[in-house]
Amino acid sequence: MNALARAVRAMKSDLEVHLLSVFSVGVAFVCLVTALLVVVNVQHVQNRWQQLGKLSVYLQNNVAQDRVAELERALRATEGVSAVRFVSKQAARRELVNEHNDETLAALPDEAFPASLEIDMADTTPLDVRERVADQLRPLPGVEGVETYAHWSSKMTSVFSGGITAALALTLLVLGAVISVVSSTVRMVLQKRHAEVEVLKLVGATDGYVRGPFIIEGAVQGTFGALFALCVVGALFAFLRGTFETYLTTLLGVRISFLPWTMSAGLLLVGATLGAGAAYVSLRKHLVVS
Amino acid sequence: MAFGPSDLAFRPTTLRRGQRFDPSAADRPILVFEGVQKAYRADSPVLRGFSLVIQRGEFVFVTGPSGAGKSTLLRLLHAAEHVDDGRILFLGREIGRLTPDSVPFLRRNIGVVFQDFKLIENFSVLENVGLPLQVLGLSEHAVRNRVGEVLERVGLGGRGMERAAVLSGGEKQRVAIARAIVSEPALLLADEPTGNLDPQLAVDILGLFEDIHATGVTVLFATHDRSLLDIRPHRVVVLDEGRAFDVPQGLDNANLGAA
Repeated sequence: MNALARAVRAMKSDLEVHLLSVFSVGVAFVCLVTALLVVVNVQHVQNRWQQLGKLSVYLQNNVAQDRVAELERALRATEGVSAVRFVSKQAARRELVNEHNDETLAALPDEAFPASLEIDMADTTPLDVRERVADQLRPLPGVEGVETYAHWSSKMTSVFSGGITAALALTLLVLGAVISVVSSTVRMVLQKRHAEVEVLKLVGATDGYVRGPFIIEGAVQGTFGALFALCVVGALFAFLRGTFETYLTTLLGVRISFLPWTMSAGLLLVGATLGAGAAYVSLRKHLVVS
Repeated sequence: MAFGPSDLAFRPTTLRRGQRFDPSAADRPILVFEGVQKAYRADSPVLRGFSLVIQRGEFVFVTGPSGAGKSTLLRLLHAAEHVDDGRILFLGREIGRLTPDSVPFLRRNIGVVFQDFKLIENFSVLENVGLPLQVLGLSEHAVRNRVGEVLERVGLGGRGMERAAVLSGGEKQRVAIARAIVSEPALLLADEPTGNLDPQLAVDILGLFEDIHATGVTVLFATHDRSLLDIRPHRVVVLDEGRAFDVPQGLDNANLGAA
């Protein structure tokens, strides 16, 4: 009977203990999976904002039409600019009132809304190119100001950095929790199977032969704990997306998504490695049969 | 074409690099104890300069009062304990100098039977007996075949699938003996193997050990049951005050501690 077969047999006979361990490891992993899910989607939003490629050139009041036309011509000839659209004061007011359906906004006069040139940049245009175009536009006559939306991107970057820090902290927490849970489980099953270990040593089993099934059991606990967390968070995610997808997509500008499969597979691998490592450490400490 | 004696002698097919085949090794004693000392407490040593030589193929009773060190002796042989002083040679190798990694390989050459059987209760008879072969890495098929043979030999043929927990004391001890001999060890140690059995069963079990001994296995049988010693004409070694006394003529003729 090889180590895997012996591990399967042992897990069947101590099923309750192993299920409890998987559940505990899974709870720890739920925190990590949730944090990663947030980080992944914040990153999507950040990327979206960075690639949004929009510039708004607000025009001064009473700017001459030929000046506006000249600006439009110059912008269309600029590298990276894919479209330029003139939005008059009236059109700007109409768009904003329609979008927000706000009575206060509707009560404002046309003069409260500046006319603008809305520029679409190509998606591949880097942020610094957009900034350079904005810098060239700002001192031009007739231009009141230029909005690059870069501050949204920097806000997202700081949120993203915070998310990464939180995920790292949670990773450490999960690491500790998994090691603690798996170590305790291994210690418990080791006590329960003390007679088996004693007999194995008696008949000439090496330490590796004795440890093999316990390490496999630890790896299985870690893997299934991570899988449990992925399933639980995945189910919640599917429910939330199904219920609030339209709202969230409008709010964030991107369709929220679950963890990529590579990351999910990585989590399973982390679970297996942590579980096996914790079992190994626990065995080195507690497997003392002469 | 004629064969000489050296052609007929056992010769291993493979030798480790740097090792030479030494035919004279087969003539060496299987066990040598030289001035072995062992104490669990400094003020009351269990073995005090214990010396003994056991030849291959011998059947030796080791006896003595409780606490005389019979079990300690067997534990030292099995490398479950270490000598404080002196040395024990098994097949010419000093047990005390084995590295921890080598101990399992020593144990694969020594079968052990205990008073409390040391079976895994939730394993079947077949699984219990097959453990030493599984440790050696034999295939399931080979393990089944070999275990089947050994179970026949100990009188438990066809009982392989029963769980160890449901067996009687005598049957459990037979399973323990089967496990001890399944890998054909050179030495069989028995630590009070009849201690938990009624007198008739004890004699049956002793007979089983003698059958195994008849196949060439060296047997070291620790017991304090004098009735067993009286009914069988084997070498008797008495442990007393930490030393060994050979009493080949039986305990009745021994003058232990009189000197």
